[in-house]
Amino acid sequence: MTVTRKSIERRAFLRGIGTAMALPLLDAMTPAFGKTPEEPLRLAFFYVPNGMDMRNWNPSYEGKFQELPSIMKPLEPMKDDILQLSNLTHAAGNAWLDGGGDHGRACGSYLTGVHVRKSTTDIHSGVSIDQLVARKIGAATRFPSLELGIEDARQTGSCDSGYSCVYTNNMAWKSPTQSLPPILEPRSVFERLFGDGASMTPEERTQEDLLRRSILDYVSADLAKIRSSVGPSDKRKLDEYASSIREIELQIERAEAGNAHVDPEMEVPYGIPPVFADHFKLMTDMVTVAFQADLTRVVTFLITREGTPRAYREIDVPEGHHQVSHHRNQVALMDKVARINTYHVEQFSRWIQKLKSIKENGSNILDNSMIVYGAGLADGNAHVHEDLPTIVAGRGRGFIKPGRRVVYQKETPMSNLWVTLMDRMGLPIEQFGDSTGALPGLDLA
Amino acid sequence: MQSGRAFAPATGVVFDSAFGQRPDDALALALLFGFEGLNEARLLSVSIGSGDLQAAQACDAIAHFYHLPVPGGQGGTGHGGFTIGLLTTGASRANPAMLSAALLKTDADGKPVYTRTLETVHDTADPLPQMRNALNAQPDQNVIVVETGPATNLARLLALPAAKDMIARKVKYLVIAAGSYPNGAADAFIRADIPAARKLFAEWPTPIVAAGTELGAAFRYPASSIEKDFAWAPSHPVADAYRAWQAMPYDAPAGALAAALYAVKPAENYFALSPEGAIEALPDGRTRFSAAASGKHRYLLLDEARKAAAIETIARVASMKPVPPAPRFPRPAEDQDQKKAAPG
Repeated sequence: MTVTRKSIERRAFLRGIGTAMALPLLDAMTPAFGKTPEEPLRLAFFYVPNGMDMRNWNPSYEGKFQELPSIMKPLEPMKDDILQLSNLTHAAGNAWLDGGGDHGRACGSYLTGVHVRKSTTDIHSGVSIDQLVARKIGAATRFPSLELGIEDARQTGSCDSGYSCVYTNNMAWKSPTQSLPPILEPRSVFERLFGDGASMTPEERTQEDLLRRSILDYVSADLAKIRSSVGPSDKRKLDEYASSIREIELQIERAEAGNAHVDPEMEVPYGIPPVFADHFKLMTDMVTVAFQADLTRVVTFLITREGTPRAYREIDVPEGHHQVSHHRNQVALMDKVARINTYHVEQFSRWIQKLKSIKENGSNILDNSMIVYGAGLADGNAHVHEDLPTIVAGRGRGFIKPGRRVVYQKETPMSNLWVTLMDRMGLPIEQFGDSTGALPGLDLA
Repeated sequence: MQSGRAFAPATGVVFDSAFGQRPDDALALALLFGFEGLNEARLLSVSIGSGDLQAAQACDAIAHFYHLPVPGGQGGTGHGGFTIGLLTTGASRANPAMLSAALLKTDADGKPVYTRTLETVHDTADPLPQMRNALNAQPDQNVIVVETGPATNLARLLALPAAKDMIARKVKYLVIAAGSYPNGAADAFIRADIPAARKLFAEWPTPIVAAGTELGAAFRYPASSIEKDFAWAPSHPVADAYRAWQAMPYDAPAGALAAALYAVKPAENYFALSPEGAIEALPDGRTRFSAAASGKHRYLLLDEARKAAAIETIARVASMKPVPPAPRFPRPAEDQDQKKAAPG
């Protein structure tokens, strides 16, 4: 850690035994004189499986948000910070003579824009947008990208009509043949973010005494030193940051301690909170601190795998998600799909509210982010790949003008949105996946 | 990717036009829907190369009339999910009488006489991905492209990365109703977008067959057929459109109809073919045909001996009563089994 009279280095790390804790962006990191550095611009993708109850997703109007449809209601406090895009299509998700397997194609094509190869062994997709961006800007952060998920990261076998699980269970593709499986275990994510990655063996990391200690214990002396050298605003930021980290640790500990008492019918790996909302909160809390400390600027988050049979007993949907998504237009089942969709949106809304609450040089983390929340299927019953549910949260550091719904012509490629986001992330690219150009309308008030 | 499945669906047709700018536009569309009803063709996409929402609405009204819902099919538009593509730039040159006074006319209560669901530009598709996606979903060499308007949309398609390879793989040939052959005056549809026409004739990777203005002038659709063959319906959109174009009776030049008929029925020899050669669009909007043994281009010649048969076929098929189309892709048995074993 380096502290100068003028400023604290942006990339300061507090190091302890087996830890390397980055600091959040502080006012003291801004030089007293000279140009204020730009806040980092983040890009994240949150993917929901099995489509959406489109009856309750699309508003009946275009333009400035008025009354939100029921699934989007949880975003009411954030409606000035989100942009809804309609009629975006992933045509590559369609069969194209390959028969069944819309779930495999939906997730496989989502960030790649390509029609993935139908196989359980001969895998072929495309490089995903997050990885292209990570290649471009990843050297600026400790981690070029983070790949996170909530359940089932199996990478082998058939998960959908002859499509490998590698397609349904991944969003990120480093190459057309190499996926980047999402990390599911909170402890793994935490250690990735705050471990030094070198000084401890995996066995050492699992020692119970270490697990029960806070990383804050290891860096407390340095943290106190910095705290004493910064102003009140930075003191508050440091305290909030340290509290966030401690809260994450406690959540992890609770999850690890609580696994002995979970529903025996549920197969929950060690350390994973059995309730979706708890798991989501824990994982996204870690994304928050990763953004706060500029540990990464690129995140993919698979909100359960595509085609998931996960049940949501906590919201009174004991049937599997995939099962109810094939509702055959039965209103009772469609309502259950809507309940799951709303539940997911609630968690997402809570998280982006938190991002908005964290200030950065007069703005906030959400303002300096472009966070896509979407699905690779619209109606899950018919496996529709058109009008894919899509929200972009954040302002992209002033690029996006949110608070409204934009409706495009039908069959407008989703890849056009990816081209536009890549351009904003500093990666101008003429063509990606099945794009036909950039997507207009994100920056128009 | 080709799956190698045994079933072979009827030939797919991609139809791009400047709908409303020819008296036989509605008839040509009706003819293609008629062939679809006979399972001799499948309309994959209908798009318009001019920024004319009313033209798209008119196509939608015709689609609703002919294209009954697929039994058990999906789609939110009420006619099998059929969406009209619309280029959102460019000026409309459509005949307003044909559109607003006929296809989009309302009854005494102000309700549309012909059902349509396309109201705004958001109900249309972007023709570029629409055509590309339609081609991608077809078996190789099982698509015919019919162009009866400016070449704008097809030139944009050609400009997409890897599009030429895809077109060469999927498309058997392109039939275009534009130009004048072997040489002649500039044609309005070439003049409407000369760079696009030049690109199309220079770069389109499959054979091209052209139906020129000279053919259309000699190959006319009889007004008598409108009054006789379409009389089964109290209100028929195609008959209304024809009558609205100009005062009846008149026999309309039928270049678009000739192109659509040849596209689906090339082996019936309703028309003769020129020798092989190359068509070039000139900077002033004229077209020039140069014979060459290895050329990929030809143009249609009127065969007086077959003219009556061609008119009879058009009248019979275009005026057919609508029938529900067959499912576009009958699903093989193993796929249905796989569907049942989908995740979850």
